[in-house]
Amino acid sequence: MLNIDNLHVEIGGKAIINGLTLEVPAGQVHAIMGPNGAGKSTLSYALTGREGYEVTRGTATLNGVDLLSLPPEARAAKGLFLSFQYPLEIPGVPTLTFLRTALNAQRKARGEDEISVPDFMKLSREVAKKLGVTQDMMKRPLNVGFSGGEKKRMEIYAMALLDPRFMILDETDSGLDIDALRVVSEGVNALRGPKKAMLVITHYQRLLDYIKPDRVHVLAGGRIVDSGGPDLALTLEASGYDRYKDAA
Amino acid sequence: MVLVAPSLADGELAVLEALAPTQAGEAARASILAQGLPTKRNEAFKWSDLRAALQDGVPKPSGSAGMVPACWQDALVIDFTPEGFGLEGDKDAGLVIESEESLPLEDVVGVESLAAGFAPRALVLRITSQQSRPIFLRRHPGAPMRVRVELKAETNLTLVDTSLGEAGLASALIEAELATGATLTRYSLQQGGNKAIDLSHCRVTIGAGATYEATSLMFGAHFARAETLARLIGAGGYCRIRGAYLLAGSSHADMTSKIIHLSPDTFTEELFKGAVQDRARGVFQGKILVERGAQQTDARQNHHALMLTEGAQIDAKPELEIYADDVQCAHGNTIGALDEEALFYLRQRGIPENQAKALLIEAFVTEVFDTLSEQDVRDWFNDQARTWLKSRVG
Repeated sequence: MLNIDNLHVEIGGKAIINGLTLEVPAGQVHAIMGPNGAGKSTLSYALTGREGYEVTRGTATLNGVDLLSLPPEARAAKGLFLSFQYPLEIPGVPTLTFLRTALNAQRKARGEDEISVPDFMKLSREVAKKLGVTQDMMKRPLNVGFSGGEKKRMEIYAMALLDPRFMILDETDSGLDIDALRVVSEGVNALRGPKKAMLVITHYQRLLDYIKPDRVHVLAGGRIVDSGGPDLALTLEASGYDRYKDAA
Repeated sequence: MVLVAPSLADGELAVLEALAPTQAGEAARASILAQGLPTKRNEAFKWSDLRAALQDGVPKPSGSAGMVPACWQDALVIDFTPEGFGLEGDKDAGLVIESEESLPLEDVVGVESLAAGFAPRALVLRITSQQSRPIFLRRHPGAPMRVRVELKAETNLTLVDTSLGEAGLASALIEAELATGATLTRYSLQQGGNKAIDLSHCRVTIGAGATYEATSLMFGAHFARAETLARLIGAGGYCRIRGAYLLAGSSHADMTSKIIHLSPDTFTEELFKGAVQDRARGVFQGKILVERGAQQTDARQNHHALMLTEGAQIDAKPELEIYADDVQCAHGNTIGALDEEALFYLRQRGIPENQAKALLIEAFVTEVFDTLSEQDVRDWFNDQARTWLKSRVG
């Protein structure tokens, strides 16, 4: 599924990711944990193609397709989705218009027919019901006036509608109370499947109680410095990241 | 026989030719002979050099005046052509239409003097009772227009004007007097080709409890300038002007306004938003003047614009001049680039770059129309913006 090999990423000439290698097979959920400044968000932006995140070495492929040579929208059409740590508020763009435009753009890029407005409305209502997204939220401009929890719910809602194959969740738990965390996690878990995979980026073990990972990796100093099963997250929660300081 | 000063440029000579044989034409002619056309050396024209714009003479009119849009099918349409004006459609009771000699305005130079001088006659619209039928002023390429609107107390009128010429020098002068409690709602659309010059000036006097509410969308032209001069003379008078502009290629659009609060308890609300790319230039000059006696004035002005590419230019001069001490006045002015983070967010969701840009620009600029109460008018403006964005950006 996702293969990252010896990835190096710079921002403004400063090296942030330094030879990161990672494989996430289909059907699995991998967690990336690490201290502040380890390069967690940089990894998610480099994979999704944000401007200013310059890959200087290494490769990243999704099902064998080279991601790094593609513009962000083409990566999205290949099934790569990033749930943003801080979802953007975009005044003037109604949420539903945005989502329909995005879905149709992806379908068009894949050579599929556009979804009709009635079909889209039906689909959007079904998905909304499961995630507790209200009609009012869908009618409002994208994320404008939403609480932190509502924004994250909207990210997962977009994820469910666009039905991506590989999902990166960047600090999805930040800003969520326990109830919201449960709703969002249930939404995420519903999207797991044998042909899909996820990379869950988080500071805290808490999220992993709800979204159970198959593997846990520790990112420090721009490299994976440790990997293990779900228990590694518990160890980290108890001992912190201090012992990786030297490794970084 | 007037001796033409040898320093006049070709464009100025051509303008002299184009002025009508009226008193207003004579006044404009005298003004040009004395001072020439306004240039960047005149403070009010420092970003919009009219003489330079006319250096190759007056372009020959071409292009179409456009169809009357579906949302204005009920309107009384008045066509202004280089030959004169004509009416089509039904007229409601309470509307008197006359024509009168084009008289010079006192102490004016620049756009209003020229617009008065080009018009062979002035059309007079006298409103004596509530009007449900809008009046659509369709300005043909190269046509001069002069309209005087008198709204009696407690009457209302919706005025629409469009100027879509490919080429030619078109001009408009609208003079409106709003008596107590009257409402004039105005919508304008301007889209000119790269050989079109569009000069328009609207001067409006707003009486007690009267409302002037104007909304415009400009795509610019070789040179386009829309001026507003509003005077609030009675308590409860309200002036609201909203404008959007989208400029590409070598388009030029200038929105210059001066709103004068002469009476206590008067209101101004201004919102202008635009986006400019290529070598185009947008100019916003907005002045709000609160005279000594105009206490409890509430005036707000906002201009926000996006510079889409290098080489584009936006010049803004917001001005508040206040001589009363118990007023609320505020203005905001920003010029920035498209938000890269928002752009990436949309692209990450699969929306191609140009389409994402178009979506963000549309959302930004059409905020100006969000508060229009009539859905079909809002759609009309939004559709114009979207169509333009699709061909220029998306």
